[in-house]
Amino acid sequence: MGEVTGYPDQRRRPRPRNGPLAGIRVADFCWMGVGSVATRLLADFGAEVIKIEDRTRIDTPRKLPLYKGEGARNFGEEVVGADPDKGGLFNNYCRNKLGVTINMRSPEGRQLAERLIKASSVVTENFAPGVMERWGLSYERIRELRPDVIYARMSGYGHSGPHAAYRSYGPVVQAVSGLSYISGLPGREPSGWGLSYMDNQAAFYNSAAILMAIRRRALTGEGTEVDVSAVETGISLLGPVLLDVTVNGRVTRGQSYPAGNRLEHPGAAPHGVYPARGEDRWVAIAVFTDEEWDRFADAIGRPGWTRDARFATQRSRWANQDVLDERIAAWTVLRDRYEVTKLLQDAGVRAGAVQNAEDLNETDPQVEHRGVFFEMDHPVIGEARFEGVPIRFAETSADNWRSGPLLGEDNEFVFTELLGVGADEYAELASAGAI
Amino acid sequence: MTADRSGLMTADTGASLPGPYSDLRVVELAGDPAGEALGKLMATMGADVVKVELPEGAASRHIGPMVGGARDGDPDASLNFWFYNVSKRSVIIDYQAADGMARLRGLLRRADIVITGWRPADWAAHGITPDDLRTDAPALIIANLSPFGLDGPWADMVSSDLVGLALGGPLNSCGYDDHSIPPIRPGGDQGYQLTASFGHIGVLLALLERDRTGHGQLVDVAMHDCLSVSAELANPYWFYPRVLVHRQTCRHAQPTPTQPALFATADDRYVYFALITAEQKPWQSLVEWLKSKRLAADLTDPAYDDPGYRLANFAHIQQIVEVFFLLQTASDSYHEGQQRGLPIGVLNAPEDLPGDEHLATRGFFVPVHDDAPGGPHLYPGPPIRFSAFAPAPVTRAPRLGEHTAEVLGGAA
Repeated sequence: MGEVTGYPDQRRRPRPRNGPLAGIRVADFCWMGVGSVATRLLADFGAEVIKIEDRTRIDTPRKLPLYKGEGARNFGEEVVGADPDKGGLFNNYCRNKLGVTINMRSPEGRQLAERLIKASSVVTENFAPGVMERWGLSYERIRELRPDVIYARMSGYGHSGPHAAYRSYGPVVQAVSGLSYISGLPGREPSGWGLSYMDNQAAFYNSAAILMAIRRRALTGEGTEVDVSAVETGISLLGPVLLDVTVNGRVTRGQSYPAGNRLEHPGAAPHGVYPARGEDRWVAIAVFTDEEWDRFADAIGRPGWTRDARFATQRSRWANQDVLDERIAAWTVLRDRYEVTKLLQDAGVRAGAVQNAEDLNETDPQVEHRGVFFEMDHPVIGEARFEGVPIRFAETSADNWRSGPLLGEDNEFVFTELLGVGADEYAELASAGAI
Repeated sequence: MTADRSGLMTADTGASLPGPYSDLRVVELAGDPAGEALGKLMATMGADVVKVELPEGAASRHIGPMVGGARDGDPDASLNFWFYNVSKRSVIIDYQAADGMARLRGLLRRADIVITGWRPADWAAHGITPDDLRTDAPALIIANLSPFGLDGPWADMVSSDLVGLALGGPLNSCGYDDHSIPPIRPGGDQGYQLTASFGHIGVLLALLERDRTGHGQLVDVAMHDCLSVSAELANPYWFYPRVLVHRQTCRHAQPTPTQPALFATADDRYVYFALITAEQKPWQSLVEWLKSKRLAADLTDPAYDDPGYRLANFAHIQQIVEVFFLLQTASDSYHEGQQRGLPIGVLNAPEDLPGDEHLATRGFFVPVHDDAPGGPHLYPGPPIRFSAFAPAPVTRAPRLGEHTAEVLGGAA
C-alpha cells in the first residue's frame, strides 16, 4: 500500500503498536465519558482503537471549555464556534486512538462503517439503546460481518427492561443506584458526589468486560455481546449497607444515616476530616484501635484532654465523637495539613491532607516518584499532561504513542490504507458528506 | 427478545460457555476491601477463588454490620464479610509459621493469580518478596493492591478509605456548598473499590500477556495512584486552564459556583436534575411538563423562547422548578421526567432498589441461601453480562475455614 497518506507531521502517522492488545482493531462508536474512558484503556495497551465521530454532532468532551491558556469556565459554559481540536477533556479521553468521521445518517456512511466493522474484531458503543439498531447494527448484523466479534454495549440502564431508554449521565446514575443517597451528613440533604464517579467506574467495568471477552475469544474462538449497565454497576458498589438492608431489613431513611465522615462499622474514632491552618484546608485522621489511639495521643504530646475518661476506649471514643472531634479540630486548626500528616504518619497513625489537583500535580512526592502523569504534544493544544494508567507492571507497559486525534485526522489513513477505499471513491465519500 | 438474566436483546445467543474465568484459580490473601473486591469480581465471573485466612479469620469477618442476633465474635456473621466474599472458598493456613508458609507456597504453585495487599514493610514482616513467590511458580500473577504501592517515599505510610480519598484527591471535590463543613467522604469504600477496578484491569492485562509469553508477573497497584487519576474533571481543569474546582452539594465541583441540582420533593425525598436552559428541546419538554401540572407560572410567556432571556432569568426559573418538585413525589418526578426525555434521577435509598421494576425485570438481584434466618436473601448480581457465557451462580460467603480439608486435602 505504501505511504500514500499525508500527515503534515509524520510523527502522527499511526505505527504498529506494542502491548498485550497489539493486533486488535476496535471500531469505536463511543462518545461522552463512559465509553471514551473505557476504550482509552484498550488504546493505551496496544489496541488500534478507531474512534468514529460525526462532524454534525461533535463529541461533547471536544466542546467542554477546558482550554489551555484560557481562564476558568464551568463546564456548562460552552464557547459557540470553538475549535473542536482544542478541547482538553477530549485530548485526555482519546489519546492513543485514531479518529475518523462517518455520517451514519447517509447510506454511504453506513456502508463504510460496515466495512470498518468487517475489518475489526471488537465493536464498542455507548449510545442510548436502539441507536445502533436504527443504523442496522444489531448484534446479528455485526456477527454476519464478523462472526467472532465482541460487541460491547455500555449504557445507563442496560439493553433490556422497562427503563432501558431512560436518559442518564454520571450524576443520574449515582442518584438512581443509591451512591448519592448513602453519602452525606445525617439529618440533611445528601452531599453525594462532586464528580461523575460512575463515568469512571462504569468505564473500568466495561474495559474489564472487553478484556475478559478478548481473552476468552483467544481461548475458544467465540465472540460475545456484552451488556454493562452503569446503574447496576453502581449498586454493586454500594458496600455492606446493601446487605444490612436485604438481610437485616434495615431502613436507612431517617435521621441517623448516612454518617458523614464517621464510620458505623467498625467503630473507629476519631474518624473524620479536620480543619487545618489556612483557607479551606483539611486533614483526614482515622484511628481504628486502642493501640493506634495511644500512638495518636503520644504523637500530639498527650494533652490533658486525651486522658478524659470518655476517650479511654475505642467504644467510648466512638460514643463521644462530638466532643472528641471538637478537641481534635482545636488541635489541627493551628497546624499545617502536611505537618499533621507527617507527625501522625511517623507515629503509624492513618492520616492524610486533603489534596487538590495542584497538590497532586505539583508537589506530591509519591505521585511524582510513581510517574502517574505524563506529557505528550498535540498539534493544536501543544504540550499537555495526561493521567496515566495507575497500574505498575513488572513486564508490561502502556504504549503512549500520540495525543488525541484531530477531528477526522485519520480518515485518509483508515479508509484508504486500512480499508482499501480507492482515491476516487474517497473523494466521492467526502463530497457526498459521508465522512 | 428475551428479558432473562443475560439481559441482552438478542434472542438466539443461548449462553453456552461457563463464566469467563472458569479456567482460573485465584488465591486471595487480602484483608481489606480492595483485594477482597477484586477477588469477588473474579469469583462472580467464574474463577475458583480460595481465600486464605489466618486461624483467627480475616479482619473483615470482625467488621459489622452483623447479622441480626449474631453472638459477639462470631466470625461467620459479618455482612461486611459476606458482601465482599460471595462465591469464594475459605481455607485456614497459618502462613506466619514456617510449615504454613510452605503449605501456602504449595497452593500458589497451582494458582494462576494471587491477590495480596501488602506494603513493603508487610512483605518484609512476612519474610518474603514477590520475586520469591514466583521462583517456583513462574506463571503466577501477583496482584498487590496496597495503599501507596511498593516503592516511593510514602510506600510504608498507612491508610484507609477516608485517608486514601483525602490524599488521592477525590475527597476535595465532595461535600457541601457550605465550606465551613469539611469535605464529606462518599459512602461505600469507594477508594478501595476504585483500587479493585484497576487491580482487575491489571490482572486481565497480565493474563493476556501470559497467554502470549507463558509467564506471570507482579502487578503493583497503589490506591494513591488510582485515586490521583479518579477525580474526573479536577486534573483536566488543572492540566488545561490551570484552575481548581471547588466542592458543591451533590453536583459537580466547578471552578465557580453553579445552581443547585438537588430538588426536594413532596414526599421528603430528592431528585437530581441539572437545569440547563440553553437548549430548546429540553426547555420545551420542561415547560410542557410544568404546564401539565398547572405549575408553569409565567414560563409559558413567549419571551422565554429566547435562551438569552432564560439565562437572564435563571434564578426565577430555578425557583419555579423548586416549587414544582416540592409538589410532586420523587418517584413521579423521576418516571414522568424521564418519559418526557429529561435526564432526571431519583435519589434511591438502598431499600428502594430491590423493588425497582426495571432491576426486577432484568433479574439483577439474585437470591442467595446465606446463613441468616429468613433466607434466601437478595444480593446484587454481577453487573457484567455476556451473551456467550452463563452467569456464575452467586453463592454465600464461606464460613471460616469451611473448605480447608477440601482444598488442601493430602496436598499439605
